[in-house]
Amino acid sequence: MSSQASMSLSALELRAARMRSWLTLPLLVFLALYAWSVVNAPIDNVQGIIQKILYVHPPLAYGAYLGFVITAIAGGIYLWKSREDMDRLAIAGTEVGVIFCTLMLITGPIWARGTWGKWWSWDPRLTVTLLLWFIYLAYMLLRSFSGNSTRTARFAAVYGIVGIVLIPLNYYIIEIFDKRSMHPENLERGSLGDGMGMPFLLGNLALFFVFAYLVLLRWEVEGLRTVASEDEAERLAANREVA
Amino acid sequence: MSTTLAILWKDLVTEWRSRDRVIAMLLFSLLVVVIFHFALPVGTRSGIQENAAGLLWVAYVFAANIGLNRSFALELENDALSLLALAPGERGWIFLGKALANLILIGLVEAAAGFAFAVAFDIDLLKVALPLAGVVLLGTFGLCCAGTLFSAMSVRTRLREVLLPILLLPALFPVLAGAVAATRDLIVAGEASFEAIQLLLVIDGVYLVVSFLGFEYILDE
Repeated sequence: MSSQASMSLSALELRAARMRSWLTLPLLVFLALYAWSVVNAPIDNVQGIIQKILYVHPPLAYGAYLGFVITAIAGGIYLWKSREDMDRLAIAGTEVGVIFCTLMLITGPIWARGTWGKWWSWDPRLTVTLLLWFIYLAYMLLRSFSGNSTRTARFAAVYGIVGIVLIPLNYYIIEIFDKRSMHPENLERGSLGDGMGMPFLLGNLALFFVFAYLVLLRWEVEGLRTVASEDEAERLAANREVA
Repeated sequence: MSTTLAILWKDLVTEWRSRDRVIAMLLFSLLVVVIFHFALPVGTRSGIQENAAGLLWVAYVFAANIGLNRSFALELENDALSLLALAPGERGWIFLGKALANLILIGLVEAAAGFAFAVAFDIDLLKVALPLAGVVLLGTFGLCCAGTLFSAMSVRTRLREVLLPILLLPALFPVLAGAVAATRDLIVAGEASFEAIQLLLVIDGVYLVVSFLGFEYILDE
């Protein structure tokens, strides 16, 4: 990173960029261990090979929700303190959250087809997740249609907070009106078959590292993009003065 | 509070003079009713009664979308929106005036569309007219709170008419869940369930507070 760039990035962003480089090694180690353990995990007697989606689907869900929570919290701090680095973190949280959410919405139906016999059901968690996916896609559209300004950042922050407020409300609604759920409530200790616990745990750890790495990377890229556009604006202004 | 009343009065007078928003919403909702008639399979009377609430709210939400889009588009002329931001006091009161004006205008359209719906599908809404009006009011209040906030955002973007429904519809799920359940209970059983009304009250409260506070950051000079 150039010294010129570091002049416009916040101390937190610079620390995040350093943290990302430290994350590279554990990320690669955990990904290798994860791949090895998934390949060697026993094949489920009832569901067959498709059960291995278990090692990727729930960790994707955690990543998606975490991304959206980061968006809302960073958006709130941006509104409160007008810290531009928090707006850039909100962008990173949304984009990585939407990627994780999309992958979850792809892996879920594949698994559902193999076990429940149909691609989609209006299961409570599915419905809430689908709505969240739409909300944060709308968030991204809002940003892209509003241009790049502080106004865009404010709009997006408010919308990101509305999105997170809807999560408990939507769960409450489904609790009231539709109690049917095909998802297991919580994974209890010992509820996974022999040899399945370790790949599941490694899946959670590896995908958490992937999530953290991508958020930090996206945050850094957004910071550098801001610096580059500021530099460009300064250069144009200087040229105009010379002319 | 006086800001709210001034904005409410201004919006109602403007609409009274032009009447364009109400007429557009009304025609649109009537067209939706006619389209439902052609699009739906011939069903039994009880089947229609079961589904009427959902269909009615689809017509309401689509029609409201048109009205909400225009709510702030009017303020773009002569840059009135920037001048609104200069009004003294908290900007939340401006939001409240706009939301209440939307509530009244959309409410009028909903009453007329509900009547047309009852006639077209032979559903006796008159016997539950009063509680139904209450349920529609609660549902429309939540719709107007979220819709007014998002309309103020989308009007300042490119493709503003396109963006509003994309922002609004996913956020309307709680409102629609409560409103459709309560309306269906009223049409089928004659009384609305406590859970549905409770949900509508909660979501109205949440959207009112979030939109009131959020509007401070949405309106700028």
